[in-house]
Amino acid sequence: MGRIASVGGGVTVLAMTSNEPRDQDKDGDKDGEGIVLTPEQQRARRSRSLALAFALLALVVLFYIVTLVKGPGVLVRPL
Amino acid sequence: MAMVSEGAGLRGPLGPEPALAQSGLAQPSLASGGDYFALLKPRVMSLVIFTALVGMAVAPQHVHPVIGFTALLCIAVGAGAAGALNMWYEADIDAKMMRTARRPIPAGRIAPGEALAFALTLAVGSVVVLGLLVNVEAAALLAFTIFFYAVVYTMWLKRATPQNIVIGGAAGALPPVIGWAAVTGSLSLEPVILFLIIFFWTPPHFWALALYRSEDYARAGVPMLPVVAGDRETRRQILLYTLVLAPLGLAPWLFGFAGVLYAAVAAVTGAIMVLIAWQIHRERPPADRAARNMFAFSILYLFLLFAMLLVERVWGGLLPWVAA
Repeated sequence: MGRIASVGGGVTVLAMTSNEPRDQDKDGDKDGEGIVLTPEQQRARRSRSLALAFALLALVVLFYIVTLVKGPGVLVRPL
Repeated sequence: MAMVSEGAGLRGPLGPEPALAQSGLAQPSLASGGDYFALLKPRVMSLVIFTALVGMAVAPQHVHPVIGFTALLCIAVGAGAAGALNMWYEADIDAKMMRTARRPIPAGRIAPGEALAFALTLAVGSVVVLGLLVNVEAAALLAFTIFFYAVVYTMWLKRATPQNIVIGGAAGALPPVIGWAAVTGSLSLEPVILFLIIFFWTPPHFWALALYRSEDYARAGVPMLPVVAGDRETRRQILLYTLVLAPLGLAPWLFGFAGVLYAAVAAVTGAIMVLIAWQIHRERPPADRAARNMFAFSILYLFLLFAMLLVERVWGGLLPWVAA
């Protein structure tokens, strides 16, 4: 089994707890620290997160309003 | 040993993503929300929304504003998804052309795999939501449009034949048909006429651009008409298509779903289109003024035709209300 070593920018790195040397160790990173985002990467991630949140919220509102408009038979349609 | 859960194994036309190729690990993305929005080709999307809205407006039935808005939203997102699929597949071409080199994928801000996942999610989502909340007919047409643009035009025709934008133009001509289907749940002659207007408008519009960007297309290896058949033949083809387009622009009036105001605008702007096409035919390189005029005016031409249809329909709807 492995463990999540880093999650950032839509990238998940799964570090395996085997006897093999880990890539991060070879690169000299501190154990468990993982990828440290630069300020620019943090801004980009925040921008993406806000866009995703807005899109999800808009979808929820849309489905709610359409359900009110179409009534309980919203998914009932002749084919 | 390390595993990367996203992006690994997703190869775009540019090949393996650079970060993966170098270290085996994906780097945190630098893409902002704006970069993903740019993938949707917002300027194309705005034209799609407008023509789809006109398709809905000229339909003989009424639709609840919320359902109409939902249909437009799905059509816009579906068109954006098709645009993103196009950018994913054409990233290698885009990198070689000045006009497109700064797009998010060739500029390195979005990895090809991320763009592909984003595009497929939106494509499936827009079709499913349109089918569930509006009707199945419109959803099927939207799915066909996305497939036609992404697969038939982008992956097959664009690099294979100088007729790429003629046949591929069908994808851009379908939004008013989808709009009509979203309201009526069926098809009729009126949306087919709107389809034909955009279909015959596409070649003069894009070949005018290709005339003064032919070096760009040649460098990228895209067989646009000026690259393959030459400048003179392209100018002749522009004139021929415009001679078909101008009378076709009057068809909505002739078939009775547009009024005199539309007919007047279509006649005047159609005559100007023919005049510019004739100037293009007479023009010899390196002069490209007439081609640039055609590219700019053709956008205005299409906008005015569809805007007049919309204005007449809105005005026609307001008249009884004003009289009461």
